[in-house]
Amino acid sequence: MPRYELAVILKAMQRPETAAALRRTVETLMERGAVVRGLENMGERLLPYRISKHNQRHSRGAYFLIDFYAAPNIGPSLLDHLDRDVDVVRPTLLKKDAEVSTKTCCGPAPAAKSLDAND
Amino acid sequence: MFQVISGRSVPAVRLLAPRAAVLVEAVRGRKSRNDPPAKSKEGRIKVPPPVDPVETVVLKERFTEYDLIMRALRLEFKEEMLRKRFEEETGSLAEERAKQEEEEHRSLMAWNQQENLRLLTLRQMRVQKEMEETELKKKEAVVQQEQAMQELIKEKEKEILQLQEEAKNFITLENLDQRIEEALDNPKNYNFAIDREGRVVRQTVLE
Repeated sequence: MPRYELAVILKAMQRPETAAALRRTVETLMERGAVVRGLENMGERLLPYRISKHNQRHSRGAYFLIDFYAAPNIGPSLLDHLDRDVDVVRPTLLKKDAEVSTKTCCGPAPAAKSLDAND
Repeated sequence: MFQVISGRSVPAVRLLAPRAAVLVEAVRGRKSRNDPPAKSKEGRIKVPPPVDPVETVVLKERFTEYDLIMRALRLEFKEEMLRKRFEEETGSLAEERAKQEEEEHRSLMAWNQQENLRLLTLRQMRVQKEMEETELKKKEAVVQQEQAMQELIKEKEKEILQLQEEAKNFITLENLDQRIEEALDNPKNYNFAIDREGRVVRQTVLE
């Protein structure tokens, strides 16, 4: 199954409400047959620009990353559902790339050798 | 009546050595075949040029002499040519020559046969070697493939095991609340700064 990442921006709320929104989101995912791998909090920060959504102007938001395994056909319906959720400012669904192997197969070894010239 | 001709309709011989200064040929001109002759030509009787008997006799004699000489020469040359041909085909040297040629032919054929045999043996050896080599290569390829399959299977097994290990950390309905609380307690920050020497600075202001 392909691996996705939902980078969701929630409204700046109190802790129990944020927890409830997260719980709702994860349960939505699980209803559509996704296997949630992990949940990360990027903190509550100032948004890069003011976003208007659901008749509200937001300047701060809570960023969360949910990575999960899911079937490829849940994309549109999931985004649709999250658009309708009032607490969600911006949902973004991304695909996770396969990890780049750390073995050096070609080219010079990645060492900071030639950067001392302009120091 | 007379048309000047030159160029491609004439054989080159007549162009290069003409009798007159300009090459002319007789052409029908203004009147066609069925037109009646002109009034000025009425009553005209065409008379051939007069013949001088003495001159004719002399010419005839000279011509016969000339023809005789020419015919004699021609026959002489012809006879010479025929004799030569006859000599070549059925002369004394012809038999020896034929025999020599036949011997030469036989020896060459024998040599050719030898060469053929030699090349045949060489070719057979070569072909056999090549076949053996291809067999070897095929077997090696099969072995390689099997090895590759084995390695692939091992890789996949490793991946499966790794995934099984990670599966213990997945979020389920039971630990959902717990994981949410954990996540809200530990905000992660992926921002960092790096300079040319490779010094990493992870302390940022999250705002």
